[in-house]
Amino acid sequence: MSKQTKFESYREMPIRAMTVDNMLWNETGSWRNVKPVYDNKVSPCIYGCPAGENIQHYIQLVIDRKYKEAWETIIETNPMPAVTGRVCSHPCMDKCTRGDYDETVNINAIERALGDMGLDNPEWMTKPEKSKKEKIAVVGSGPAGLTSAFYLARTGYSVTLYEAGETLGGVLRWGIPEYRLPDSVLDRVVEFILSSGKIKVEAGTTVGKDIEFKKLRNNFDAVFLGVGLMKSRQLGIPNEDCKGVEPGLDYLRKVNSGQVSSSSDKAVVIGGGNTAMDVARSALRKGSDVTVVYRRTRTEMPAIASEIEEAEKEGIKFRFLASPKDIVTDGDKLSKVIFQEMELGEPDETGRRSPVPLEGKTFTMDVDRLFTAIGEKGDLDGFKSEVDTEWELIKVKGEFGETGKKKIFAGGDIVTGAASVVEAVAAGRRAAEKIDRVFNNEKDPPIEQEIDFGIENINTDYFPKSKRVLKPRIPASEAIKGFEEIFKGFDEQMLQKEADRCFSCGVCNYCDNCWIYCPDASIIRKDDEYEIDFDFCKGCLVCVEECPRSALSIEEEGK
Amino acid sequence: MKKVVMGNHAVSYGVRASEAKVISAYPITPQTHVVELLSELVANGEIDAKFIKVESEHSAMAACVGASAAGSRAFTATSSQGLLLMTEMLHWAVGARLPIVLTNVNRAIGPPWSIWTDQNDSLSMRDVGWIQIYCESNQETQDAIPQAFKIAEEVQLPVMLVLDAFFLSHTYEIVDLLDVEKVREFLPPYNPELKIDPADPHSFGNLASADYYMELRYMIEEAMDEARGIIKRVGREFGEHFGRHYGMVVPYRCDDADVILVTSGTVASTTRAVIDEMRDEGIKIGALKIRVLRPFPFKEVSEVLCSAKKVAVLDRNISFGNHGIFYQEVKSALYGKTDIPILGYILGLGGRDVTPKVIREVADKAIKDKNPEPYINWIGVKK
Repeated sequence: MSKQTKFESYREMPIRAMTVDNMLWNETGSWRNVKPVYDNKVSPCIYGCPAGENIQHYIQLVIDRKYKEAWETIIETNPMPAVTGRVCSHPCMDKCTRGDYDETVNINAIERALGDMGLDNPEWMTKPEKSKKEKIAVVGSGPAGLTSAFYLARTGYSVTLYEAGETLGGVLRWGIPEYRLPDSVLDRVVEFILSSGKIKVEAGTTVGKDIEFKKLRNNFDAVFLGVGLMKSRQLGIPNEDCKGVEPGLDYLRKVNSGQVSSSSDKAVVIGGGNTAMDVARSALRKGSDVTVVYRRTRTEMPAIASEIEEAEKEGIKFRFLASPKDIVTDGDKLSKVIFQEMELGEPDETGRRSPVPLEGKTFTMDVDRLFTAIGEKGDLDGFKSEVDTEWELIKVKGEFGETGKKKIFAGGDIVTGAASVVEAVAAGRRAAEKIDRVFNNEKDPPIEQEIDFGIENINTDYFPKSKRVLKPRIPASEAIKGFEEIFKGFDEQMLQKEADRCFSCGVCNYCDNCWIYCPDASIIRKDDEYEIDFDFCKGCLVCVEECPRSALSIEEEGK
Repeated sequence: MKKVVMGNHAVSYGVRASEAKVISAYPITPQTHVVELLSELVANGEIDAKFIKVESEHSAMAACVGASAAGSRAFTATSSQGLLLMTEMLHWAVGARLPIVLTNVNRAIGPPWSIWTDQNDSLSMRDVGWIQIYCESNQETQDAIPQAFKIAEEVQLPVMLVLDAFFLSHTYEIVDLLDVEKVREFLPPYNPELKIDPADPHSFGNLASADYYMELRYMIEEAMDEARGIIKRVGREFGEHFGRHYGMVVPYRCDDADVILVTSGTVASTTRAVIDEMRDEGIKIGALKIRVLRPFPFKEVSEVLCSAKKVAVLDRNISFGNHGIFYQEVKSALYGKTDIPILGYILGLGGRDVTPKVIREVADKAIKDKNPEPYINWIGVKK
């Protein structure tokens, strides 16, 4: 319809109700005033993933048993699904539409299964085809550093990866306990990432100490800083340096390197984040009676919810609304901790309610060991003068880790403060892509706006309710006896069963419903898409109505 | 050629003479003979037409709508419940401005089940927009068909021809059968300008917004108004070709009549016999047959009736809650033109015989009755 017909007088009109112009443009005639269009959206889970994993797509590939393609889809945005499949806080699952129907799809378990398949199939990893002349230094081999090194190498750049420790992995290795992420898995992941080629490893080299930062700047075309947070914050109370008080990160480092022997003492962990949970559960495994003391309530705890649940199951005690005020020593050794009782005050600018001391209310606990896990800070020695810093973190400009200093990029916890592995992965990749764009003089891609998509967009008649398939596990009573990995991977049957629960929100998965329901047989099936024959489509929109996943949209005719 | 035929067959011969190209119908008593004979005439090649068997009257009219929209001369026949089932499509034929001709054999509507005559079926379609012509004899029934096509095709409105069940449909009379060649001179082949044409496809019956719906309705009424002159002219032209003239109304001994009985259908013939008998007695009485109900012949009706001192309308129908339908029509035609009493009588429903004796009773009552009753005058009801 090119235009609306206008008549000044009825004498200009045909006596019949009919179109004035002929209908050669549309064999359906003027019947159709709206038309269906195939219009794939971005599934909410993808928006939920900081790394932007194309979750919907790899789950559908899993259903088709195209595991290699599914793995390749993850690897496009995250080089370590075997890691994130174990330790990720999986914000994707918070977005999963299925959560408003029965239970969210266990994306994390599917990711792990694919990640492990990748490790079992080293031939899936391809080497870069092109070689680029630029050389890039990556400082730190935690999730941010490893990821940026991986994507830079894959694009063809020569990467030198500096790591202060003797082995690669950073916080993944020394900060995350074995029962969550076994070293054996991390070793294979690191090996896998390095197998992509072009990454030269300089382990046991601390930048700023063993090698001057200036040298990196001079010898390389770009530098990526992904050094993470290495130091625990201090409590700032009297006697904090006495024997028996230990930064949580130091303790985790020792546990993870096998330097801690068993002891049956009374331990208190201060803090409510993932480090606090890791420290508490590690100490429990080493024989301690552990209490976690947190100054807010359980609701405000920043740790991953499932980690808190596991800690509870294992027998960790919690004391909320309390904060250490004073340490009483017996000689040079810790003997008691005096705690200030707290209450929740007004919400701060982030919306979280701040703890406020309850005047005159304290209590005392006999404590043999006190672990601090109230936050971590960076170690900026060696390059403090090279970048802008604030709160002992590196300041970046924009979305892609530019520090504002020529050639220098940064990402991960050293930029954001303590965040999650997947956010570090995302930052590593974003910086790697940005570095590539800088070399190629390319513009940044536009930032996609998240679209609204909810259960109301799903035709739930097509989905019987079902329970989420859980990762197999060893029971908590067994788990606390050692550091064996608690959760096991899916076998193929579990993987298929869980993948099958995916709604494929907003994205056509060729279920044929539109084709089956079209009353005018106007939908044509092609190899991997459908086409609408608009010569016969009447615009009844049955296809749109019956699409289980809103992969079709409505367009008005003549617009 | 003259032949003794039943009313229904007179219809069939009228269709044959008119060279209809598409006939689509569903049988129903008392109409069945119409399409029975038509199917035979198509089968033996006497009519070069497509005969479409359908599963219902709704489809029968739908088929006619399609055929007519494609430019074919289309005919169907039905009765009573069948006509009611067609209702949606009857409206469609009008809105789409399709010159379809339909013969409806008047049959009372059930329940209680009845196969006998009264006019409520066709009169319930009074406001749809079809031209309605009520026939009185087998000859008129046949002659009305080519006239109907000629009128319909000129004004692009459908025409409904109506005849009484059994009193006409099953009654044999001598009919001068129309000759196809002669009718062709009177009624040229139908070749409309606007029709469905695959080479120049348009969408028909499509959506019209409030901006133009009224204009399309206005044009229907304009065509209805135009039809008044065309019906008369076509009646005259028919007379010139075949010697039988037809008009909107048929007055009988009305010129000096004090009382005029208004009738329609077969009751008109019986009434004329009663008029003659009463005239012999010296009573100044006349009769007016209304042949065309839509468009209503206001001018003709008021011209005839205004000369009388009293009018009595005989209705073989009833509009529940009001009165006989012809009675209402006559009253509206005379409104503001005369002060004479207009009396209404309901009779002959469900095929009850309207004999000369019944009409005489109505006439005598009408002469006595001074003013219209505040209630309806029912003739012959067992009270």
